[in-house]
Amino acid sequence: MSRYALAFVNINMLGPASSLCLLFKTWTALSARASMGTYISSQTVKKVIEINPYLLGTMAGGAADCQFWLRNLGMQCRLYELKNGHRITVKAASKLLANTLFGYKGMGLSMGTMIAGWDVGGPGLYYVDSDAQRTKGQIFSVGSGSLYAYGILDDGYNFDMEVEDAIELGQRSIYHATYRDAVSGGTVSVYHVTKDGWKKVRGADVGDLHYKYYPDADQHPTYGASPL
Amino acid sequence: MLAPPPFRLHTPASVGPANASSDNTRSRPAWSPYDDNGGTCVAVAGSDYCIVAASTRLSTGFSILTRDCSKLFKISEQVYIASAGFQGDVRALQKMLQTRNVMYEHIHRKPMSASALAQLLGNNLYYKRFFPYFTWNLCVGLDPEGKGSVYTYDPVGSFERVGFSCQGSGKDLIQPVLDNQLKAASPLVVPAKDWMSALPLEQAQDLVRDAFVSAGERDIYTGDSVEILTITKDGVNKEILDLKKD
Amino acid sequence: MEYLMGIKGKDFVMVCSDTSAAQQIITIKHDEDKIIPIDNHKLMATSGEPGDRVMFSEFIMANVRLYALRFGASLSTKAVANFTRSEMAKALRQKPYQTNLLIAGFDEGAGPSLYWMDYLATMHSMNIAGTGYGSYFVLSMFDKLWHRDLSQDEAFEMMKKGVVEVKARLVVAPSAFQVKVIDKDGTRLLGKL
Repeated sequence: MSRYALAFVNINMLGPASSLCLLFKTWTALSARASMGTYISSQTVKKVIEINPYLLGTMAGGAADCQFWLRNLGMQCRLYELKNGHRITVKAASKLLANTLFGYKGMGLSMGTMIAGWDVGGPGLYYVDSDAQRTKGQIFSVGSGSLYAYGILDDGYNFDMEVEDAIELGQRSIYHATYRDAVSGGTVSVYHVTKDGWKKVRGADVGDLHYKYYPDADQHPTYGASPL
Repeated sequence: MLAPPPFRLHTPASVGPANASSDNTRSRPAWSPYDDNGGTCVAVAGSDYCIVAASTRLSTGFSILTRDCSKLFKISEQVYIASAGFQGDVRALQKMLQTRNVMYEHIHRKPMSASALAQLLGNNLYYKRFFPYFTWNLCVGLDPEGKGSVYTYDPVGSFERVGFSCQGSGKDLIQPVLDNQLKAASPLVVPAKDWMSALPLEQAQDLVRDAFVSAGERDIYTGDSVEILTITKDGVNKEILDLKKD
Repeated sequence: MEYLMGIKGKDFVMVCSDTSAAQQIITIKHDEDKIIPIDNHKLMATSGEPGDRVMFSEFIMANVRLYALRFGASLSTKAVANFTRSEMAKALRQKPYQTNLLIAGFDEGAGPSLYWMDYLATMHSMNIAGTGYGSYFVLSMFDKLWHRDLSQDEAFEMMKKGVVEVKARLVVAPSAFQVKVIDKDGTRLLGKL
């Protein structure tokens, strides 16, 4: 059935931004900016958190909340391996995180995260947030720019697409989200997850991507719209 | 839902008898366990050095409390922490880190590396997630290859290794200048590019001096003097630069 | 917005739920199964806060199954409903679960039963029951259509009419629904609407 999986996220550290994942034959993650209110506190924050060689977590919401609890999840997953002698499934790992977050429900944590990885059953993708909502899926997009990303993603996605197309679709979805959403920006990263674990396959400055996708300004929809 | 700020200031509306009469509680400003004492910290990493600097003025509101309050804290010979924000929390944090460092050195028989301290600081800031330390920190040192390393934090412990950073009241004035002079490619770019701009030491020191002198002109919480530490494999050089006193 | 409906017939109970998972204004999924099996002849249709909903129903399910393992006999639907209600009431004074549910089951002897319960631990045995904005349209419709000798086919037709009404009238109507039925043979998915 499924042979591989991709996750995507966009990057500018502390506030909202967008990240998205899609699961098809393979699976990928990308993302980029961190802000505090309107101030961009970092353009280089790592929004894809490498939990272990087979598991990725993406960040949206509170940077500290995501960073701390995904690191904590990494620890729980390692302890699971030591106890049981085999790797944890994506299903179980995401449940560990959801259980932790359920314990803190209503206390003001802010996290929207996607757990993506590969286990004995193939690729796995789960959405987990600070309301302790946890759900399995094929494609997700999270964060302030997620709606814009969905617009591109839903249009171009299909489960049997080629890896290269999926990588490009993910990158493009994030690019368009960063273009429309002021809070998203920085760098877009794409990860490809296979049975051999994840591999980062793209890392592009969205500023450069703009000129790659629209070399001529007059080809852009916002060109020449002056009413005067 | 995913938009609110990374932490909420934990401010009990009012405590004690003030609560009893509901008439005048509204007009009274809510009591807060926090203050902002101002001050600015800057750190710049180089290929074989690291500079960390912090202004020495301590203020509350429009009053200057002292002109000689160091915001740099030495953890070991090569590793420092610079903190702005609320001095009460800064002291509590420093005391805790000092204790943890002594324990570490007894257990491991070696000084803590900058990266170990960086994670320790991150964890301890997060442990107070629901009543944060109101502090803005930089963790500074040399990495195992001898390169400068700077870690920058938010008050609840999110952190990132960067080539340079600025925190505190003068951040809005200084960070853009550092970006302009030092910005390099993002560490996330594939294929990887050099993400640390390697300025010669003297130029970097001049940049830091200029940054503080300029911030001192426009930020009322930055002034009096600035301590500039230069960390290299040969040791630490300390310079004190005078700023305007008004 | 979430929608649950239940119909009790002579020898069966039928429940319908929407299958969307939402996050603020975004539907993140169209195939979320909110009708959770408790055992072969019981199920629970749930709505409310996503985290609470799953945690509460898994908690109830696990305890009911544990009881069956320990004592070699499974609880009746009535017992499960009352157990669920007591756990909900216990939580209400500590850390409330924002979960509304329908409990449906078929017991040897007692026949079909349907219970409605809200997050305040109010519970009642019902012939027809529903939650959510959609139920305002459909409860009246079912009041009119329901009769004591309802067949499964008739009930399924009622469910379809209900969903049509919700899709036609409710601004925030979900896009996908499912219907499950329980009778002496156990639980079955009747269809997706």
